[in-house]
Amino acid sequence: MRPPSLLCLLVPLLLLALGLSLGWALGDGLKGYSGERLAEVALELVPESGATHPVTSVLLNFRGYDTLLELAVLLTALLGIWSLGPAAPPYPPPGLVLASLVGWVVPLLIITGGYLLWVGAYAPGGAFQAGAMLGAAGVTLTLAGHPTGGLPAEPWQRLLAALGTLVFLLMGLGLMALGSGFLIYPKGIAKWLILIIEATATLSIGVTLIAAFLGGRPMSLRNRSR
Amino acid sequence: MLDPLALAVAWPLLGALSITLLPRWAAHLGILAAVGATLSALGVAFAVMDSGSLTSELGGWKIPLGIGLRADGLAAAFLAMVNLVALGVSIHASVYFADSKARHHFWPLWFLLWTALNALWLARDLFNLYVTLELMGLSAAALGALSGTRESISANLRYLLLGLAGSMTYLLGVALLYVAYGSLDLVQVARSLAPGPSSAAACALMIGGLSLKAALFPLHFWLPPAHASAPAPVSAALSALVVKAAIYLVLRLWLDLFAGIANASAAMLLGLLGGSAVLWGSWQALRAERLKLLAAYSTVAQIGYLAMFLPLIAAAADERGRASLLVAWVLLALTHGLAKASFFLATGLVQKTTGHDRIAELGGAAQSLPAATFALGLAGAALIGLPPSGTFFAKWILIQAAIASGQWWWVPVIMLGTLLALGYVFRLLARAFTREPTPPHFVTSARAELSALLLAVLAMLGVGLAARPIANLLGV
Repeated sequence: MRPPSLLCLLVPLLLLALGLSLGWALGDGLKGYSGERLAEVALELVPESGATHPVTSVLLNFRGYDTLLELAVLLTALLGIWSLGPAAPPYPPPGLVLASLVGWVVPLLIITGGYLLWVGAYAPGGAFQAGAMLGAAGVTLTLAGHPTGGLPAEPWQRLLAALGTLVFLLMGLGLMALGSGFLIYPKGIAKWLILIIEATATLSIGVTLIAAFLGGRPMSLRNRSR
Repeated sequence: MLDPLALAVAWPLLGALSITLLPRWAAHLGILAAVGATLSALGVAFAVMDSGSLTSELGGWKIPLGIGLRADGLAAAFLAMVNLVALGVSIHASVYFADSKARHHFWPLWFLLWTALNALWLARDLFNLYVTLELMGLSAAALGALSGTRESISANLRYLLLGLAGSMTYLLGVALLYVAYGSLDLVQVARSLAPGPSSAAACALMIGGLSLKAALFPLHFWLPPAHASAPAPVSAALSALVVKAAIYLVLRLWLDLFAGIANASAAMLLGLLGGSAVLWGSWQALRAERLKLLAAYSTVAQIGYLAMFLPLIAAAADERGRASLLVAWVLLALTHGLAKASFFLATGLVQKTTGHDRIAELGGAAQSLPAATFALGLAGAALIGLPPSGTFFAKWILIQAAIASGQWWWVPVIMLGTLLALGYVFRLLARAFTREPTPPHFVTSARAELSALLLAVLAMLGVGLAARPIANLLGV
């Protein structure tokens, strides 16, 4: 074995020093300032947002514009993956035990996803968690040998992947056209608008995760029937 | 009510989504969305010129609870340039990718990049800036890898990872500021910012992360391979716009957010890095064997000039001196954006016609494309800084400020950088005109060549002659 070089010692020491100074800076930041804080303002206005859970209020209403761009980031990631080449060949078909287990697990995952979506209005949950559940269902199917992880043909995949961003954006533009302003939800129907956005975002997030796991452009129908 | 700022972001995003849904119509929808986005951005710029800066509070929530968008003179000037360049790139790309398999992938990713750029220039929320940086980095890396070669994929994977490291570092700084001051709005945080270890650490992290994304020497190593291996329209956008976005944010944060704590020695450090970038980038461009590599190294040098302004702005004697340096900064950045985009587009045409872009073997091949070669020459002249280009005025003001503030050592750096730029542009042009007789047609592919040529003309004449309106826009 080679004796440890100077670099092996120096790098951890430097990282330690960096971490300590950042910790010091953080500690310094924690005291000091006594003005109004954003979190307090946000908690106060949660009842006006159309959702009773603060995380949902922030993600879908107060900072909805960030979430819109984050959904666009997800779409970008998927389009980037598709641009690099076709998907890998499917996994081998499952044995009896795996197949029956998958038959149980996948519907449960989908139902759990739906529950998380609904519960997001007043408890921890919401589109990203629900979408992750849908994604897990698709990944399970893929591992059990399904060639597309339960996803439909390419045009539908495109629609589903873009749907969340599209509905969110059109909602914003529509509200602007109706005189309310970009992404300004009218008080009475805010709850329902948020639910529509969350539901479509859930679908898009789930589909994006599955398609990203497949790792490439969807195979055309002709290739799949082979 | 109609919100012009939200529209400038919504147009390209709507374009990206509709092309994702209808890939068959990509080129048509692309041109439609490009024209719409450019018109809405120019609308914002003219509105700012008429009535001063625009602000909007998205979602109807008061800042800091909601996210604010803002277009002041600086943002409006860049928004106009970015959208004109992006329109030129789109028109060029409709020919460049016409019969290539990459076209289905190019258009949606390109409009996502465009969305990120417009959103970045309008943002005034520190976390929102992070989201736009993520969108920009991801779409830029995916676009760069579209040429599909092993070289381009590895260069752009490195670009993606370093870009992520840069934006994570930036985010860490934002987190520190949020912990310390309880707000994410740039203006509010700037108001309550006090000197101390936490704000100094945030400044170092945010400026450092953005310098990595801006390819400021010595963090430039990822740029030449990534920009030289991408398809030409993408190289144009990466070099002219994406890098510019990061260096713009460095200036924006430096002046607006960290004005109270960013001191003269920190500015001097960035200036010295900039000076080294000018010399090293220009020297490497002079030695480059391939046309696209030459253009990429020239970008490294131009980013260096932009960083060199910081110590001079810090040392400016009065408000007038600062303002004129700011105008010079914008002139230089706008000219470089237009000129470098045109340079890369013309290079792409040469590469498509001759099958390679090795400078030594150009041997008059470029001469069969008179309009493209003319664009290369004009863009090259704008990069050197011949009058009346914006670069000329910018360097003039820079040298004046350097002498006035006693920092004379920047003058030889600027002179030497300009001399080297003269060298690399003429080395290229000397190879381009060796064949007789001249071809009968000036233009061979109208849409592809004219977009490059128009951008070059704008760079050489437009920005310099429009210096007065640009100064008005910046409120000087």
